[in-house]
Amino acid sequence: MGQHDRYDAIVAGAGHNGLTAACYLAKAGLKVLVVEKNDWIGGAAVSRSLHEGWTYSNCSYVCSLLRREIVRDLELPKYGLQVIPYEGGASFSRDGDYFAYMSDHDALRREVSRHSAHDADAYDRFSQTVIRQCRFIRPFLLRNAPDPTSLKPRDIGELLFLIKQAHGLGKKELGETLRFWSMSIGDFLDEHFENDLIKAHIAGAGIIGTGLGVYSPGTAYVLLHHYMGDVDGAIGAWGFARGGMGAISNALGACFEEAGGTIATGSGVDRFLVSNGRVTGVALDNGDEYHAPIVASNMDVKRTFLQHTGERHLPGDFVKAVKRFKIRGSSGKLNIALDALPDFPAAPKGAPFLRGDLHCAESLNELERAYDDWKEGRWSQNPYFDMLIPSQIDPTMAPPGKHMMTVFVQYAPYDLEVGGVRTGTNWNGQTRGAFADCVFDKLEQACPDIRSKTVHAEVRTPWDIEQEVGLTEGNIFQGELTFDQLLFNRPVPGYAQYDTPIDGMYIVGSSAHPGGGVMAAPGANAAREILRNIGRGGNMTGYAA
Amino acid sequence: MTTATYDAIVIGAGHNGLAAAATLARKGKSVCVIEKNATVGGMACNTTLANGVQAPEIAHLLYNLHPKVKRELGLGTAKVPLEVRDLPAVSLSQDGNHTVIRSGRAELADGRPHAEAAAFDEMMRRLTLFAGLLGQLSTKSPPSLEDGLASLGTLTELAGLAKLGLDLKRMGKKDMREFLRVLLSNAYDLILDDLEDGPLAGALAADAVRGAFAGPRSPGTVFTLMYRLGQGGGAQLPMGGMGAVAAAFEAAARAAGAEIRTGTGVARVLTENDRAAGVVLEDGTVLSARAVLSNTGPMPAMMLAGTEHYDVEAVRRMRNQRCKGAAAKVNLVLSAAPEFTGLRLELAAGRLLIAPSATYVERAFNPAKYGEMPANPVIEAVIPSLTDPEVAGGGQHVLSAVVSSVPYGLEGGWDEAARERLAAVTIATLEKYAPGIGALVTESQVLSPACIEARTGAPGGHWHHAEMGVDQILTVRPANGMAHYRFGPEGYYLCGAGAHPGGDVTGLAGRNSAMQLLKDGVL
Repeated sequence: MGQHDRYDAIVAGAGHNGLTAACYLAKAGLKVLVVEKNDWIGGAAVSRSLHEGWTYSNCSYVCSLLRREIVRDLELPKYGLQVIPYEGGASFSRDGDYFAYMSDHDALRREVSRHSAHDADAYDRFSQTVIRQCRFIRPFLLRNAPDPTSLKPRDIGELLFLIKQAHGLGKKELGETLRFWSMSIGDFLDEHFENDLIKAHIAGAGIIGTGLGVYSPGTAYVLLHHYMGDVDGAIGAWGFARGGMGAISNALGACFEEAGGTIATGSGVDRFLVSNGRVTGVALDNGDEYHAPIVASNMDVKRTFLQHTGERHLPGDFVKAVKRFKIRGSSGKLNIALDALPDFPAAPKGAPFLRGDLHCAESLNELERAYDDWKEGRWSQNPYFDMLIPSQIDPTMAPPGKHMMTVFVQYAPYDLEVGGVRTGTNWNGQTRGAFADCVFDKLEQACPDIRSKTVHAEVRTPWDIEQEVGLTEGNIFQGELTFDQLLFNRPVPGYAQYDTPIDGMYIVGSSAHPGGGVMAAPGANAAREILRNIGRGGNMTGYAA
Repeated sequence: MTTATYDAIVIGAGHNGLAAAATLARKGKSVCVIEKNATVGGMACNTTLANGVQAPEIAHLLYNLHPKVKRELGLGTAKVPLEVRDLPAVSLSQDGNHTVIRSGRAELADGRPHAEAAAFDEMMRRLTLFAGLLGQLSTKSPPSLEDGLASLGTLTELAGLAKLGLDLKRMGKKDMREFLRVLLSNAYDLILDDLEDGPLAGALAADAVRGAFAGPRSPGTVFTLMYRLGQGGGAQLPMGGMGAVAAAFEAAARAAGAEIRTGTGVARVLTENDRAAGVVLEDGTVLSARAVLSNTGPMPAMMLAGTEHYDVEAVRRMRNQRCKGAAAKVNLVLSAAPEFTGLRLELAAGRLLIAPSATYVERAFNPAKYGEMPANPVIEAVIPSLTDPEVAGGGQHVLSAVVSSVPYGLEGGWDEAARERLAAVTIATLEKYAPGIGALVTESQVLSPACIEARTGAPGGHWHHAEMGVDQILTVRPANGMAHYRFGPEGYYLCGAGAHPGGDVTGLAGRNSAMQLLKDGVL
């Protein structure tokens, strides 16, 4: 590849959002280049074979948030994406019992009543509220966040849309919505349920990936963030991408290349080239330079501006705001190759819910204490985990008869405390091993023979995720999902519409509205903004056309 | 059985109840205030300890007394005297390098300039500016969403917000954006974005969560910090103790013609075809009135009227209200003035804060979440006797300490032993900053949140009657659909801290509810 190729647009980072933006731009007729530091594409939506014969979705591991409008626009199924929904899940308790979640309403009601007749009724009220909130929020995901300080017709239009939606909720719901959005998931669940195991089972979705505890206000919204997706239109359902999460990125990559786009892997952006307040291209680690009037960064906002853009090109206030933006590493992961399916003594043999998400949290206090550990720079001594065995549904993940297990662990700090010093480099072979042991001990609560069936385990700390994927502090959302960092505040007030202080430069990653998860909404929305700004809005295909 | 008839009856002679009574009486209404205790004032009252030493029993400082209330009730005038002294805040440090906050500016106790004075100034400028904006909402009923957004009623109320919107714009984009960013944020990040994590940061963090069941890392604590700064945040010590504040409110009410009956509480509120008709006292006395206002917490107010007057949703919301008290009170009688390491006596008379860092404040809250006693609590202490020798005699002094993050629902319950444990923890914590203070203690009085509930009726012993979380303020305070002080049966009103705008000795909830009552044409 030549030294000085010219493009219409360059996307820095081949994460799912970068690729999504690239697809829309290419389909609109732009000559687009995607550069990626790793030898593979996908960022945190990847399938890696790190142990002979096994495939790990070694970062993100389940799929639900991916906007179906985008799947449709980019015809991802045509490029090999197949999402297989999974059924139910369970939380195991120390006393050998479990609470199982199932999507069949009657079955679920029977299971809840087994623990508490009161909660069986409460569950219906709970799910009604959550579904109502999901329906309320979903329309905003593929729209711009209005700038309340702006008088531009478009911003006012978006504000009016928001008010119209809010009014649509009607009398009572409006107040309930205000309340729901500012509540902690713990308080919300305490209002509905009496059974600790059931509360703990649901609460997990309120803390996954965040530096907040179950009793921190705002976590009810985080729960929503995990419930607002769908698989084939079934709201709240989750599924596996056949072949691992990499299947999503590969489908996007294939779509992009068929649209005439180019992907250059193996060398990341060293710096964004800027002159007179305009971006002119990128310089790569390997010395190559590429030029384009438009550069879109899939990297999080801290990495983009504090590491790869000279501060001299940016207003002081903007730099301050970026430094202030909270991107905290709070989760780790274990990816385990299993010799055989582990035993779950508590569960009926071959129970369908074993193919879903499994946990061992028993009470909200237990989860809150896990958060307290994290605040002090320790991994949770009694961690929360979200564990699945996708190979039960997708045999391509492991050799015949063998299995692959993914264990998402909350909380694990990025800046691990050792001897009074808190830094990411405290994550070494020893601490990593101790962390893994702690998780295995907890796993044994559900499947006592897990250690004996493990043939290989990959331990992923926030530090590792940052080093490999490039996510600052290994935060899976590219920025905390708190109100000071949502909507018109994300990532920086005044730059919440994918634009930046540098002309022609854009943010297309999860640092931008509507935030993290394998949703592809930021990428698609950003592409729409880019095309509008260069007067090619008409070329936008699909949902935004 | 005697009966008397009034225009309005107020249940509870807390400062808000008295403010409501005074406001109505000033409009020529006949008002009677019923107080179950022998003395008025609720949480604003004095108590007499060993050999005649006067201590502020629960609340000990004025922060937020609203000028409008002060003016309307004539507090601090010849007729209704109320003398206060501004106190500097002193955030203690074990190395004697204390930080002093005087009228919003930071300096070191030994007079040297504080390294972060400028950063602190800028932060206070923003926060007080924002607090002022929010303050506009505190003197009116909050906008109701009852009839959805399209109704005329709502629109006129929203129009009332127009000024707020205008002032927001007038701040300029930069401040407006900052306002919208921090409004729902957490105090910990806000503070540490601009300050080192030391005594100055600790002081702000502690003020953000005092009386709240929250740590500074909880989103929403920036709002409570701004609420605390509503009148600039300066603390004032009333001469004669908080009892003098209660006395002033009482005098204002009486001067306006209100009657006050103490010593007997209200057994229940009388209703006739879903209209408030009066009250029955615990001794069987029946008092009839066309309007009844309750200064109790929201749930107790509901119980007094009878839940049958509320739809099931309202009852559920009341039951789900968050009102876990998290502040205890410890009063210590000292045989002599204590010595704080490196602190001049003049400053020892200030508002002493034990909150050496924001992290310390967050840690202090952790145990409370699990019903445990804090090992290293956050303390706000005053020694009124240094400013106002009247309250103690014979060289004695009284130290009044608000101990934060002390759970209402303590594991094992609040028995004598638990209270002694709390006293010990408090003294041990003070010892670190004032070595030898323990030896000076001649008597101690401990009021756990449970005691405070028993003494004042405040649910959960919560200082604000209900947590000031973002999910329980403005339009949803005390609960969704009940934000207009109207509380169930027609003519029945909530006038305590559980109603908008909330806690602290502001007098606003009482005043606003009376205004709303008059506006509704009940009388």
